[in-house]
Amino acid sequence: MEFGYMNKWLKVNLTLKEFKDFSISEDILRQFVGGKGIAVHLLWKYVSKLEEKGINVKDFDALSSENMLIFATGPVTGTRSPNSGRHHVMALKSPLTGSIGSGNSGGRWGAKLKFAGYDGIVVIGKAENPVYISIIDGSVEIHDATKLWGKNSVETSSHLRNKHDKKRAGVSCIGPAAENLVPLAVIMNEEHRATGRTGLGAVMASKNLKAIIVEGNNKPIIAKPDEFDLKVKEHVEKLKEHHTTAESLPNYGTAILVNIINQNGMLPTRNWQTGVNPEAEKISGETLTEEYLINKHPCWGCVVACGRKTKVDKGNYKITYTEGPEYESIWALGGSTAINDMGAVIRANHYCDIFGMDTISVGSSIAAAMELNEKGMIPEEDLQGIDLRFGNADAVVELTWMAAFRQGLGFWIGEGSRKMCQHYGAPDLSMSVKGLEMPAYDPRGAKGIGLNYATGNRGGCHVTGYTIAAEILGDVDRFTTEGKAELVKIFQDFTSIVNSSVNCLFLTFALGLDEYAEMICPVTGWDVDSDELLTIGERITNLERMIINKFGITGKDDTLPKRLLEEKMPEGPSKGQTVDLDTMKEEYYELRGWVNGIPSEEKIIELGLK
Amino acid sequence: MKIFVKVFASLRKKYPSVSDLNPLEMEIDKGTTLAQLIARLNFNQEEVKIILVNGLRASVDDIINEESSIISLFPAVGGG
Ligand code: SF4
Repeated sequence: MEFGYMNKWLKVNLTLKEFKDFSISEDILRQFVGGKGIAVHLLWKYVSKLEEKGINVKDFDALSSENMLIFATGPVTGTRSPNSGRHHVMALKSPLTGSIGSGNSGGRWGAKLKFAGYDGIVVIGKAENPVYISIIDGSVEIHDATKLWGKNSVETSSHLRNKHDKKRAGVSCIGPAAENLVPLAVIMNEEHRATGRTGLGAVMASKNLKAIIVEGNNKPIIAKPDEFDLKVKEHVEKLKEHHTTAESLPNYGTAILVNIINQNGMLPTRNWQTGVNPEAEKISGETLTEEYLINKHPCWGCVVACGRKTKVDKGNYKITYTEGPEYESIWALGGSTAINDMGAVIRANHYCDIFGMDTISVGSSIAAAMELNEKGMIPEEDLQGIDLRFGNADAVVELTWMAAFRQGLGFWIGEGSRKMCQHYGAPDLSMSVKGLEMPAYDPRGAKGIGLNYATGNRGGCHVTGYTIAAEILGDVDRFTTEGKAELVKIFQDFTSIVNSSVNCLFLTFALGLDEYAEMICPVTGWDVDSDELLTIGERITNLERMIINKFGITGKDDTLPKRLLEEKMPEGPSKGQTVDLDTMKEEYYELRGWVNGIPSEEKIIELGLK
Repeated sequence: MKIFVKVFASLRKKYPSVSDLNPLEMEIDKGTTLAQLIARLNFNQEEVKIILVNGLRASVDDIINEESSIISLFPAVGGG
């Protein structure tokens, strides 16, 4: 494939200390585009290979050397098309959930990988001792990383950039939490950008792989440069015209959502016991901007710049420089725990960044621990003197670092809320789907997002089908279940395209599928329209589903925590609501051509996945 | 009748001290529409993209019926 791609993938076997290049045929690229799509395709092939070897993928341990870790970019990544510095990471299995591992990250690593000459990297095996990989201008080396082991993400990144004398290189690395095999550990990029969900950092650590540094001067060749330039210009204009991408995200960051979600009575508070947080203003985007913001920090090639550079210059948690926090982190660490203390949130978020943990899963697990404590389920000796009442900021900050180092009750926080709540005998208090902690929108106030959480392949997640854009930020009735199945399906399949292109999901506030076709066509020279793209998205969603079906994950797992299905929202604008999931799910399966959460034979054939 | 108005994000440029914790208390006539309220607050109709009355979605033509209603006004916002 001549255009858009670098035409080269790297396969590294760390057990054998071997690596080799391979390429992906144009036929496969056309079916899966890139990024997440190609990763899913490669994982599916790997499942067949493991099965041939007699390995039962259902019982297969996510932290075993057989797990496959894939870093992937797409045709749009690293081009002049806006916000295209991102990349997607997948693992066959997540140590947190037991479902597929999947995450997307900002920063510049994605673009830099292409400049280094590669579209993606597949890692299998386990190195004997800690190693890191450098890919500089097409030259690949595996280096000893024994001395880097134990260093946090900021230290690791700056050490590697200095060592290789590449000040602007992309560095993906793990921190101490991953080294300690904490199942909710992340892969950090450019110090403060995380491949956040499903514990991909722990998978990387289980391979003894500390970091991957990438830099180079290669550029993807654009098939139709004039048409491409024109479309880039048009897309940038659209982003500059839309208030969300031109004003709201750059000025306030994603945290601007705190107030609006709370005004709708669906900001999960006290571990989702209510959707009303009377003090949300204290942790809002407006407060962040007014009192803590130093400057914006865009990812590579970004014209929106939702990233935040922040400081805390008052109170107990002073810090002169950090980045973030974004909406989900603020909510999980500061809202669900009811601390409503921005300084503490920024500190806990900073710990998550430098030690390398998922802010959503950490915050949500602490909130679940607080409810366990409220209900008297945690024995005194396990608390070790920590005052675990809702609203105690010190407990949140302390438990965050304790999770990274598996100290005391931090051990259970690091295991994630599902295991922790099972351990303490109250599994229903884990606000997770398929073991992944849900993000910051109570679906009792917006039914479509509930269906999306329930059916998400990687678990309770918003960025695989962000119906909030329609139900809260757009004009779709948030309480009705009608039409939500179709809405969720379209959002999920469209998002599969975004994550395969690969660029930033926030573009979709201003750009639709037609614009994605306008990016992909001139870059690759293909003639694809929005319908074909949506079919490709559907293919990716289905193949990912076929992988998790292999793990035994089916319709029974497409569900929500009991609280959301049975407990009425107690107060506020969403009062009295629960999620009528079954009705939506039935319609969704029908639309998807799935039976009990499993793609039907006809659907598999229709999508060319046979 | 008395209502409470909360403005958010860039709409606070005109009302810097108004927030969720410090709403603007206003006296309005019965039958006032949201469009009229928005005009009275000196906003362009186009800059107010999302209107909630007591947390429920409303449109500019709706009339504010209830005493002590909370009106929340937002520009187009997004995140994730
Ligand atoms: S909008 Fe935010 S997340 Fe997206 S590319 Fe820009 S800075 Fe990164």
